[in-house]
Amino acid sequence: MSGSTQLMLLATFLPLLGGLGLLFVPNEKREVFQKASVAIMVASFLLSVPLWFQYDRGSDAVQFAYQCAWMPSLGVKFSVGMDGISLLLWLLTTFIGPIGALCSWGNIDERWKEYYVWLLVLQTAMLAVFIAQDMFLFYIVWEVMLVPMYFLIGIWGGPQKLYAAIKLFLYTLAGSVLMLVAIFAIYFLQHKTSGVYDFSLAGFQAMAPVIAQQTKTFQILLALAFFLAFAIKVPMFPFHTWLPDAHVQAPTAGSVILAGILLKMGTYGFVRFLLPIVPEGTKELMPWFLALALIGVIYGALVAMIQKDMKKLVAYSSVSHLGLCMLGIFALNPWGMKGALFQMLNHGISTPGLFLAVGIVYERRHTRQIADYGGLSKTMPIYATIFMLMTMSSIGLPLLNGFIGEATILMGTFQTWPWVAVAATSGIILGAAYMLWMYQRVMFGPISEVNTKMEDLNLREITYFAPLLITAVWIGLYPKPFMDIMDKPVAKLIQQVRPDFYRAESLAMKQAEAAKVGMHAMEAPEGEGHQAKPEGHEAKPEGHGAETGAATPGGGH
Amino acid sequence: MPSFSAGLWENLSHDIHYIWPHILLMVAATLMLWPLDSWLMPWTKAEKHKWALPTLAILVATLGLTLATPNGLGFSAMYKVDGLTKGFQVLCILGSIFAVMLSQNVLGALQEHTVEYYVLILLGTSGMLFMCGAVDLVTVYFSIELMALCIYILVAYLRHQGRSIEAGMKYFLLGAFSSGILLYGISLLFAATGGVTTNLTELNQKLALVSADKNLLVYSGVLMVLVGLCFKVAAVPFHMWAPDAYDGAPTPITAWMATAPKAASLAVFLRVFDTGFHNLSYDWTAPLMVISAASMILGNVAAIRQQSIKRLLAYSSIAHVGYMLLGVLSKDAQAGAQAVWLYMLSYLVMNTGAFAVVIYLQGKGEGERIDDFRGMGKRHPLLAFAMLIFLLSLAGIPPLIGFFGKFYLFLLAVQQGFTTLVVIALLTSAVSAYYYLEVVKQMYFKEPATEDGAECEPMDPYAKWLITAACTLVIIGTAFGPQLLKWTDDIRWFEKEAPKAAVFELPGK
Repeated sequence: MSGSTQLMLLATFLPLLGGLGLLFVPNEKREVFQKASVAIMVASFLLSVPLWFQYDRGSDAVQFAYQCAWMPSLGVKFSVGMDGISLLLWLLTTFIGPIGALCSWGNIDERWKEYYVWLLVLQTAMLAVFIAQDMFLFYIVWEVMLVPMYFLIGIWGGPQKLYAAIKLFLYTLAGSVLMLVAIFAIYFLQHKTSGVYDFSLAGFQAMAPVIAQQTKTFQILLALAFFLAFAIKVPMFPFHTWLPDAHVQAPTAGSVILAGILLKMGTYGFVRFLLPIVPEGTKELMPWFLALALIGVIYGALVAMIQKDMKKLVAYSSVSHLGLCMLGIFALNPWGMKGALFQMLNHGISTPGLFLAVGIVYERRHTRQIADYGGLSKTMPIYATIFMLMTMSSIGLPLLNGFIGEATILMGTFQTWPWVAVAATSGIILGAAYMLWMYQRVMFGPISEVNTKMEDLNLREITYFAPLLITAVWIGLYPKPFMDIMDKPVAKLIQQVRPDFYRAESLAMKQAEAAKVGMHAMEAPEGEGHQAKPEGHEAKPEGHGAETGAATPGGGH
Repeated sequence: MPSFSAGLWENLSHDIHYIWPHILLMVAATLMLWPLDSWLMPWTKAEKHKWALPTLAILVATLGLTLATPNGLGFSAMYKVDGLTKGFQVLCILGSIFAVMLSQNVLGALQEHTVEYYVLILLGTSGMLFMCGAVDLVTVYFSIELMALCIYILVAYLRHQGRSIEAGMKYFLLGAFSSGILLYGISLLFAATGGVTTNLTELNQKLALVSADKNLLVYSGVLMVLVGLCFKVAAVPFHMWAPDAYDGAPTPITAWMATAPKAASLAVFLRVFDTGFHNLSYDWTAPLMVISAASMILGNVAAIRQQSIKRLLAYSSIAHVGYMLLGVLSKDAQAGAQAVWLYMLSYLVMNTGAFAVVIYLQGKGEGERIDDFRGMGKRHPLLAFAMLIFLLSLAGIPPLIGFFGKFYLFLLAVQQGFTTLVVIALLTSAVSAYYYLEVVKQMYFKEPATEDGAECEPMDPYAKWLITAACTLVIIGTAFGPQLLKWTDDIRWFEKEAPKAAVFELPGK
């Protein structure tokens, strides 16, 4: 096991170990729990940082890989490792962890011990989801994750916490058990074709061509089983109803983690499991998926617009933003995919920021109704500034992180599904509308008597906003390092999902070059063009080859 | 010319080594009942619960004897010892050991202790041991009756309580009825095969040769045996007795009924269907599939509405039986037995643990309604945590042991092509998470009902020890969950078959 692998495992399991250690601290020592949990999270983050530098960006392989036998007779291995996609989300998790712990200091007034222990357990489970390279291991940590979240919402949540907690639990559980059946089905199919029992992710992904030869019904059922599990987690319309409940009832840290990380697991699942394992089945269902994603974008934004509760507003904005991510993923080209992954990262920075901002005023006034506020910018200037930046980041203002992601997604989507991209733009416009409207109603206008007594941010609060702000600006100004790291994995993914994509693209480029030199457009690449055609509806032979966007796939319209 | 008694002994001694555990149980029970209780131990008369320790000792000795019993077929091919027999016998004895431990006075589940209580547990256990090894329909019938008669009495043990009597009566009437059906089914099969044999292996060969005009006999015979057995494991639609009997019985007996007799009945199920009716052209999988699906659905859905924790666990046990029938359905008998056994093992531990918590609370004078669990996280942190572990495990949340049990079972079922049933099983197990978490909700999310209840109460050391032990077992099982399958791979469940590689094994191993 190399040093980096050890670092990865240590950073992943440190929170769990720390949480177990905290069990032995006496109940009443609140400060110990607060400080220790932040310290453990920070330590885990610091341990995770070196991996960012050690990651080899030139390779699309799973790096820092480690595996050992776990249940040899079933082919289950304890297999971990990550590629650029996992790495980004994994780092996001270690990054959000300390913020979640730090923001709990003020609002967790009872049963601290259990709270911080659950928080730490949850952190390990989430980190493990992103590095799991074995379907069995993945399923286990995916389910384990539910239990701490159930308790976080159920014990420390708002008035409707019980309902919200059980709803979250059952929705997610119901989705994932169906995925388990799909996993079993592929597992036995694999045994039938290759004679080995194997749960490894690579093995499952290698099954894609075999699955593509099965009956259409089989493929569609597989795709649906995976789709349901992940769509509930994302959540996509119409499986989103648990989200507003969970967000509104959860304590601030719960919302931060829910928005920052848990929702990303759904999109991560699409990218890591559904697309590479069942590409043909997915393409078969693509119109439906697209429609749901698009409805999510617009419906989420419209519903957010009419919310009176700030947290609910931000929750519905998540539905809208993640719908956009889904569109990017379903574009099935590198731009859309990269944009979607990038937007997941951005959403994981700006939305936790917004939830934190809502949490701040909630701690002070114990209300989240927009109508109860107004004119806060007069008494809370620092708060107003930070809230502004987070809002701008969320609506995708250039120079902040959100812009890059949205632009890339739309670019990618436009190439594959132009009209969908056009329609999705309305979601972005609406997004700006509801966010700015909320900002205006909360920050400007006359200030009421109670609100004048509200204090501005203290040092602890600034501390947990600072990293979010810095990252938001950094990504906005210089996104290249983040883009680079997922270059190769995304290329590999697209290759898996659409084997003909790059061939068609290189053909298009040759044609473009040929046109530039002034040769007759069809001559040079003609021979190759015929080879590419049987698979590809992509390369449009009728074009003069001059258009750079010749990679537009026509299928599915 | 040998005397009659010498001849009897000579023939008996030929096979007697197969049933030493049973003999120990029966002799000990008889001695306890009469001479020991009235003559040798008069000073224990006032404190009958002292019998608990000797009973435990006897059961542990039986466990040892069972493990030491050699494999083989005896008593004119009516009783057989092989992996299936021993494996399920161990489960039954463990279940009985747990039941006796739960009956301790300090837990206060029973108002009075009489020697009969322990004697009946011992005799019932010996009935179960016979069931596990029964390879002849007659042995099956007799051993089931031996077990069931003891349980009928034990269910009605709290004779001053109306509901206990009612439960015993209900169970007895329905049980007698189902035994009749079972017996009738057996006689039909006996008639269909020409009235020659009731031995399962021979029956299997004969059934294959039955002429077409006797098909109806075979069909109804198989169906009636199925009904009789389903009644014993409380599978839907023959589950009517279960909630009432579970509710009315003394709680340690409820814990026992949910585990040990079920293990024995499942052993019979596996034996009868995977030996006796194996590879029949008469397709018994269809009714069994319906029964399995109905048990999962009805058990889990009905459990949602329950107010009493005992009834909740009763309905959930119906659902668990539904899952386990998936293993009986498996065409690969070896793997099916293995998966059922593993599931039963995990169920035994976690279910007993949950009942231990219920019994402890009852002894403290608290009710058995789910509402009574309010604020337990504050009042009894250890107890609540243990209950949390048991319930999550019952719900099959990974990585607890209950998940591994389900995982092996469902994996096998998908492999055998019962995908629809597995989908139902998984969806209903998601439903089951709802009612298990309902209890968790009461424990952790609700405040205690009374103000003074907010204090953390000290626990009795015995109860503390017992519950910690059960919880530890679940956690240890969790840690070794992945290895369980490998360990049981080596057991040859059905001795007769040539030892073949277990299903899950990698080629070349």
